[in-house]
Amino acid sequence: MRRVWAVARNTMAQAIRMKVAVVIIMLLLVILPVMSFIMIGDGTLHGKLQTFISYGMSLVSLLLCVLTIAVSVYTLTSDLKLKQIFLVVTKPIHRFELLVGKLLGVVILDAFLLAVFASIIYGLTLMIPRLSDANQAEIDKANREFFTARIGLKTKIDEEKIEKAVFARYEELEKTGQLPSDMSRIKILRELRGQELLKERVVEPGKQKLWEFENIKPIEGTETLFVRYKYEVSGSFPDMEVKSVWVVGDYRQQERLGPGIWESPVYRVDRSDAIKMFREFEVPANAIAEDGYLAVAFNNLYENRATVIPDDVEVLYKAGGFTGNFLRVVLMVFARLIFLSALGVSLSTWLSFPVAILVCFSIFFIGTVNGFVVDSFDYMEIKGIEMLYSLTLKPLLWLFPRFDGEFNPTRFMISARFLSWVFLLEVYGVMVAIKSIILLILGIWIFSNKEIAKTIV
Amino acid sequence: MAKVNSEYAIETISLTKVFPDWWGRAKVIAVDDLNLCVKHNEVYGLLGPNGSGKTTTLKMLLGLLYPTKGKALLLGGDSSNTKISERIGYLPEDSYLYRYLSAKETLDFYGRLFGLPSQVRKHRIESLLEMVGLTGMANRPVGTFSKGMARRIGLAQALINDPDLLILDEPTSGMDPISTRQMKDLFIRLASRGKTILLCSHLLADVEDVCDRIGILYGGKMQIEGQVKSLLQKSSENQIVTGQLSENALEKIKQIVREEQQDCEISSPMERLEDFFVQTVASAQEREVPTSGAVNTGGIGGFLAAEDGKGEDILDKLVSVSVKKEETDQQKVQTEKVERKPVKQEDSSVLEKLTGGNVEQVQSDKPKQPEILEKPVKTVEQVNDDLLKKLTGNDEKKDLTERTVSDKPGDIDDA
Repeated sequence: MRRVWAVARNTMAQAIRMKVAVVIIMLLLVILPVMSFIMIGDGTLHGKLQTFISYGMSLVSLLLCVLTIAVSVYTLTSDLKLKQIFLVVTKPIHRFELLVGKLLGVVILDAFLLAVFASIIYGLTLMIPRLSDANQAEIDKANREFFTARIGLKTKIDEEKIEKAVFARYEELEKTGQLPSDMSRIKILRELRGQELLKERVVEPGKQKLWEFENIKPIEGTETLFVRYKYEVSGSFPDMEVKSVWVVGDYRQQERLGPGIWESPVYRVDRSDAIKMFREFEVPANAIAEDGYLAVAFNNLYENRATVIPDDVEVLYKAGGFTGNFLRVVLMVFARLIFLSALGVSLSTWLSFPVAILVCFSIFFIGTVNGFVVDSFDYMEIKGIEMLYSLTLKPLLWLFPRFDGEFNPTRFMISARFLSWVFLLEVYGVMVAIKSIILLILGIWIFSNKEIAKTIV
Repeated sequence: MAKVNSEYAIETISLTKVFPDWWGRAKVIAVDDLNLCVKHNEVYGLLGPNGSGKTTTLKMLLGLLYPTKGKALLLGGDSSNTKISERIGYLPEDSYLYRYLSAKETLDFYGRLFGLPSQVRKHRIESLLEMVGLTGMANRPVGTFSKGMARRIGLAQALINDPDLLILDEPTSGMDPISTRQMKDLFIRLASRGKTILLCSHLLADVEDVCDRIGILYGGKMQIEGQVKSLLQKSSENQIVTGQLSENALEKIKQIVREEQQDCEISSPMERLEDFFVQTVASAQEREVPTSGAVNTGGIGGFLAAEDGKGEDILDKLVSVSVKKEETDQQKVQTEKVERKPVKQEDSSVLEKLTGGNVEQVQSDKPKQPEILEKPVKTVEQVNDDLLKKLTGNDEKKDLTERTVSDKPGDIDDA
């Protein structure tokens, strides 16, 4: 372990004395405080906080990823190229110890830099409300919607119902001979499915749509919960603002007690919102029934004269504090850095610096769009290729990291989403314990069998 | 620590290295069926022109290259075994140091790789920096060092673990003649303390002055191997060294030689350029001629020339444990030994002036002969002299210190 530590120390010294590390560190030290002053967002305190933490965390994460790739690839390839490795491997050190030492050095450096920059972001985020001239209402809103950690619940699509409806429509079209002759059965079914899904989501003028949620369990002392949504509108909509009435509470009372009799509170919220932007409103937490049930109803007012599609409707409720959530988000970024360190060190055992760094960046960028790639392949329904894909490309894509979608740490901060320890553990399990270890073992195997002084004659 | 595992400190068995081309076809045979044996406490010089396979052999010994065929053993085992590698010191053909580390950090890093405890490490770093004369530059990054200074740090790192076996590839390259001389003296002293040294060089003077035995490689094959003295001594010729003689005396000598039916050459000896250089620099330093270049101070002499036992202490601290053990072990080992050439008296005084040290100390550290069993050595007749001449281009020894009288035929040459 002493030898591993010696190599790790040397790797850290090497990285710190590399100009690229210093440039990135200086850049962040200057940019982060400046960002906290110049970023305004939508003009509100909440918007400013969201913008700062989003850009701040993304920038720190991106630059540390770039630094990690550069350092982890450089440390071994430069040792090999400048032959400094001759003096190291001839000492009483196993080659695996050397690789583990290199990895440890990069990871410790990452941990240190991430801790420093995350602390700066955390401190500046807490300072923003104090330094701004926001009124109490804005500060309260920031506390409720930003300095918190909330769980979001969405209703699931009733796939069975959709499927039934799709096949019923297909049969009907078949009977009446209305099936388009230039489309395959799969294409027609897919088209019908799209139509059915849209039908489920649309709300015509003067109509209502109801979402029902179960098992809502906010932490003790929670006073409010939030409904989050985004509007799409079909057809032309000159006004750009949708006027609506939302009703939130235990709707089952109506059936049980009859109309007009309420045992537990049901809240009405009148809204007028721009389309294509996420919006939130709050209601007291006592709208939730004792068994954790909650219904949310959207009424498209007749005066809109347009069909409205409320998208991604979610009920959010507090499940933890800001500090704990921020820490978990930082740890999620750290998992990404550990993976990239293992990738860089592993690739540099058999690739030269330019090739290894190119491959690392390619994998990093694939990682940032991996979710999109996997999703788009999942929609592929051509028989034969589908099978081939699930046996070849799909497992390969699994080996790639996933940095986007639910694995994007900043997403949790912007909308104050609760990042659970269980999910974090899952991320570490897959990204560190499995993928990084596989990469490291592969690197050790290659490096242990490598002729260090091999020259091409 | 200095446990002898086998008869040989270095042993190669049919060692072969073939470098393939891109298609995997054999392209260059760098080392061809090499059987090299270096005994414990021997200073062995591996010679050869560029591309003869010297460095490839060293790299196979150290596990930096894998043999295509055969085996390479160090201290009776494989160098990948950490128990073996912790007893080896290696100085590659270039120092290959981490440019961003200071001299002190460099030695600390290698000390840590050997798992040396903090106190021992600290003590050895100080001693070694003093020994190589870089105490004043301990905190300077080695990237700013000249090649000669980098070689000194390279040597210091090779000694940090007090190795039983030192493998040195071109150790004096980039060094000025004075440092070269000091370095060679150090090797002799290390050998006298029981270390085995494999010296790989194409600087023939270095090898000649230091090594007990040499081997000459060409085309990856061992062309000739033997003790330096027996390879270079011309037993069919005689050389008489005297002070200045009168013309009459010279004539008499010639007469006696003629009576013996032999030709005779009388000349004034040439001084070696190395000696001449050392003396010139010493004289300039005495006259305090200003210089912007490096000045050899007493610092480096401290370890090489051992002033008042100071340098002695440093070496003793480094090697004392192994010396005692090695002496015991040597009783089991049969070793060929030839007498190393002592530093000449006038050179000693000049070196002393240059370094402030005491060169005579070096002479007293010669190997302890009684413990070593002498083996009969090959005579010149057994050696293919022509081949040696062809390979080295050195057909006579020019190390003459006084007027010499030789029975070799030729003209009288008064230099």
